[in-house]
Amino acid sequence: MTAAYRETARVTPASSWKKTVRSWLPKRWYAHLILVVACFMSGIPLFYALIVSTQTNAEVFRYQFTPGSGLESNWNVVFYERHLHTYMINSVIMTAGITIGKTVFSLLSGLAFVYFRFPGKWLVFGFVLITLMMPTEVLIIALFRFINDLDWQNTYYALIVPFTASATGTFLFRQHFASIPAELSEAAQLDGANPLQFLFRILVPMSWNTIGALAVVQTIYAWNMYLWPNMIISDPDMQTIQTGIGTLRLGGGALRFGPLMLGTVIVSLPPVIVFILLQKQFMSGFTLTRDK
Amino acid sequence: MKKLVFLSIALVMVMALALPASPISAQEKTKIDVWIAFQDYRWDWAKEVAAEFNEMFPQYEVVVTGGYSYETMFAQVAVAAEQGQLPAVVQYFEAATQDARDSGLFKPIADALGDRTEILGMKVDMEDYVAPVIAYYTLDGKFTSMPWNTSSAIMFTNMDYLRAAGWDKPPATWQEIDAACEAVMALDNAPEYCWTFPNHGWFFEQWLAVQDALYVNNGNGREARATEVAFNSDAGVAILQWLDDQYDKGYLYYSGAQGGDSWSTVDQAYSTQQVAIAVYSSSDTTLYTETMSEEGGFESVASFYPYNDEVGWTGNLIGGATLWLVDGLDPAVEEGALAFLVYFTNTENAADWHKVTGYIPIRMSAYQMLIDEGYYEDHPSQTVALEQLAQSQITPATSGALVGGFPAIRNVVTAAIDRVLLTDDDPAEVLAQAAAESNVIIEEYNLLNAP
Amino acid sequence: MVVSPVVLMVVGAVVGAVALAFVFQRAGGRLLFGLGLGAIAGAFGSALFMVPLDYCTFEAERESLDRVFGAIFVLAGIALVVTPVGWLSGKLLRHESLMSGEQTQGTFRHWWIALPLLAPTLTILILFLYYPSLETLRLSTMLSRLGARREVFVCVDNFTRLVDDPAYADTFIRTMYMSFFIVVLSMSLSLLIATMAYLPLRGASIYRILLVWPYAMSPAVAGIIFLLMFNPSGGLVNYLFGKWFGIKLGWLNDPAVAPWTVILASVWKSMGFNILFYIAGLQNVPKDLIEAGAIDGAGLLRRFWHIVWPMLSPITFFLVVTNLTYAFFETYATIDYLTPGGGPLQSTTTMMYRVIQLGVQNNDMGKAAAQSIVLFLTVIGMTVVLFRTGGRQVNYGV
Repeated sequence: MTAAYRETARVTPASSWKKTVRSWLPKRWYAHLILVVACFMSGIPLFYALIVSTQTNAEVFRYQFTPGSGLESNWNVVFYERHLHTYMINSVIMTAGITIGKTVFSLLSGLAFVYFRFPGKWLVFGFVLITLMMPTEVLIIALFRFINDLDWQNTYYALIVPFTASATGTFLFRQHFASIPAELSEAAQLDGANPLQFLFRILVPMSWNTIGALAVVQTIYAWNMYLWPNMIISDPDMQTIQTGIGTLRLGGGALRFGPLMLGTVIVSLPPVIVFILLQKQFMSGFTLTRDK
Repeated sequence: MKKLVFLSIALVMVMALALPASPISAQEKTKIDVWIAFQDYRWDWAKEVAAEFNEMFPQYEVVVTGGYSYETMFAQVAVAAEQGQLPAVVQYFEAATQDARDSGLFKPIADALGDRTEILGMKVDMEDYVAPVIAYYTLDGKFTSMPWNTSSAIMFTNMDYLRAAGWDKPPATWQEIDAACEAVMALDNAPEYCWTFPNHGWFFEQWLAVQDALYVNNGNGREARATEVAFNSDAGVAILQWLDDQYDKGYLYYSGAQGGDSWSTVDQAYSTQQVAIAVYSSSDTTLYTETMSEEGGFESVASFYPYNDEVGWTGNLIGGATLWLVDGLDPAVEEGALAFLVYFTNTENAADWHKVTGYIPIRMSAYQMLIDEGYYEDHPSQTVALEQLAQSQITPATSGALVGGFPAIRNVVTAAIDRVLLTDDDPAEVLAQAAAESNVIIEEYNLLNAP
Repeated sequence: MVVSPVVLMVVGAVVGAVALAFVFQRAGGRLLFGLGLGAIAGAFGSALFMVPLDYCTFEAERESLDRVFGAIFVLAGIALVVTPVGWLSGKLLRHESLMSGEQTQGTFRHWWIALPLLAPTLTILILFLYYPSLETLRLSTMLSRLGARREVFVCVDNFTRLVDDPAYADTFIRTMYMSFFIVVLSMSLSLLIATMAYLPLRGASIYRILLVWPYAMSPAVAGIIFLLMFNPSGGLVNYLFGKWFGIKLGWLNDPAVAPWTVILASVWKSMGFNILFYIAGLQNVPKDLIEAGAIDGAGLLRRFWHIVWPMLSPITFFLVVTNLTYAFFETYATIDYLTPGGGPLQSTTTMMYRVIQLGVQNNDMGKAAAQSIVLFLTVIGMTVVLFRTGGRQVNYGV
């Protein structure tokens, strides 16, 4: 089927090609309409949150849609009363630790799987891959006990270390390295490079897209983690932001939506920024775009 | 390559800075760790008092660590016990009393004090407390833990609505609530609902206590270890029946939230005047009768917990938490901890704590002091909780239940209330099922904890 | 014991022997050896799960449901041991390399360097994934509370009780239908939007960013924002609904509506991710194919269904698996903020939520562990089913 059609397509003159394309494309306005509505639906919740973050409770319940007068007091609550910056720092450390740790360890194991032959390699690979099926949520009760036994509760270790190994990362790097021609490593070996040098001087510069993609996914994942930090951290100074914003609900009084929304907006900014900045890497790292 | 090395080093450095500090090397000061389950202004208050104590007695250094909630505090302590890293003093909520007792981790205050009438120059008076408080925390005839934040359940009323409906004081019984609500809901500017309460098992316990009904068997768990629940009695069914009735008539507002997170929905409803009456804890008396009243521009008063007219009023329970002394401490630490506890809850501090928070002044001397000061002339609503407790008859029912797995049972009861309100199920059946579920919890708890 | 362990071992031995004899026959090995090996493997397999359990399911006081569980464990154990042994021996007999089709050029000479390279990942996986898994299995056979004096071994009671428990059945069904809707709604809406967005429209890149960023939001944040908006008594949505339509829904306090609020919040958050991948997938569909279809006179929908949709199948498959994981596990944060306590009449209590409620709030670790195992098996089961049905339909290219 395809060859014949491809021929026809190539042979068809320009004007009817345009007509063909147009007959497939829905009317532009139709698409625009749907997209605008979709963007609206997608953006309204956060936009509303943004507005509410500047309002006092009274203004919130009057449903006014313009920025209110409560920004300063909400800001005070968020940062002085509730120390959101403490939580943010904890989250930054946790996220950085997990992202860097995971990237480095996955690079190493990806290297091992592609550029070495050793007995039982497939067994080990399977061993790693099976963990894709074992999300931490399922193990969380036992993990909680184990971390407590290690006396790591309320430490950064508990937040970072269990998440520095990744089947996804290993898999991604393995796929990526396997697509690199073998001559490259042969040449490197002839030059006398050891595996680590090969990895960091040659492979890594070729893998920024994959690294970027993994970094985006991991950063977002780590920043948004809720269940585990909630369970293992009981010391308010060590808490991370997803649970931390929950303390904005406590208020010592009625639920104050203004500070809660302000905190929510602030909390959402970093992953969104990371995502938008690294979007290109993300797309090509997962080989989602047609490869160069 | 260099980038990565630099980043890794940076990471290690950051982590090293952030690691928990290594144990402080021995100093002359004896360190006393106190863990409480507050993170807000109540924690700030405790830290201030600790600072005062540290100045008065420079040989001690009391450090007060705040925490999330009573439940997480309990888990934290269990974990610390396994590590052998317990602090000197822990704040446990009243429902964890049986667990505390069974854990063997704590030393009764009475034992630690012995016969002393003073410690470090401070007077010790363990009889000055409000009677229900003594009753709750005396186990096996001994005063076990140090009362600190005690509250009771009371009722707040938006008198603007009630006066407009022809009532000049808040309703006192279930039947009066019914009548008052009928009047209030008939007003032109009637609120959306008439009354509400946080759907938390504690309120059910209170309604049992006012009817002199037991929560669990064996004298509410005080004569012997509790093995079964007793709340599926007529009194219990009456409570659910009444709540269901009120909900069906549209008087009772139920937000759907259960347990700890239901309290803020009541805050919201009352402060925005969507309900006229809130049954709540006395610990937020200041907030409800002063703050919300000012901000909302309405008159708000506190009154006794509504009781069942057909049965009469026996008394209310306390709620809140106490401070437990850890067993097996270094004698110097124990001495310091004990002294701190005495200071922390002395008359002046008890009065101050009451003023700042709204928890009752647990000492009668503190109460008297405040009366003499004229404090209650400006804050009449603040006496309600204490009066209610002072007038309560002490019976096994009003002494509070002692049972293992109490938080879990509370959740079961909360779910039962939820079910009765939202479905047509028969309250007696629902309660019977809740009882069956709770009995399993108790059985398993005893299996794991009974000596 | 109702059934003696010896009997079970014999059964295992027979099954194993037969299986391996079959393998050996086909691969041309010595039959006797195969029988022997199979017998050992089978006997061992039958004991694999039962020895840690101390054959407790077959004790006299136990009920028939326990025996059923026991039988399942015995069979599972046999399968788990005999299958790899059979596979390995098959390969060895046929002199196939155990390492299949791997590039031999480009590999480094000192193979043992791979070990320290793998060590970090493997250590972490073993310590923090495999070990807790074993611990979860162990806990699931216990009555265990944090801070209690002792633990009590209860065999498979934590599991058998779930079978009769109507509340658990409710939770299970509820989780299933909530997850179904989250996945289906999110993916179908995303596909629709993606087909619009991948077109070369003016401002396409702006559209894309605006549509995709909710992916970066956390489930917790989604819960909080929707709490603000859908609050039945003070929220924007009910206010507007009241003004425009004259009705107000009990978004968070009506047991029939609350799950849908959760579904809505989850769909909102996950759409960004799906749109992103669908756009990428659509861009990979060769345009000339679609045009060819147009020339053929196929209508818009037919073109989509017969050309575009099959080419999207790998992406769809990937997204279904990812969304399923999200719906089962990560909606916990959304539920915890939106309907704390599990919702009116427990209408938003999913299996994951119930596990945490049991383990943390009720301090009942054994039951929580058992339920997490059931949850895990459910997700695995669904993924396997997907792989089998969807995997066959996925075509990776023309």
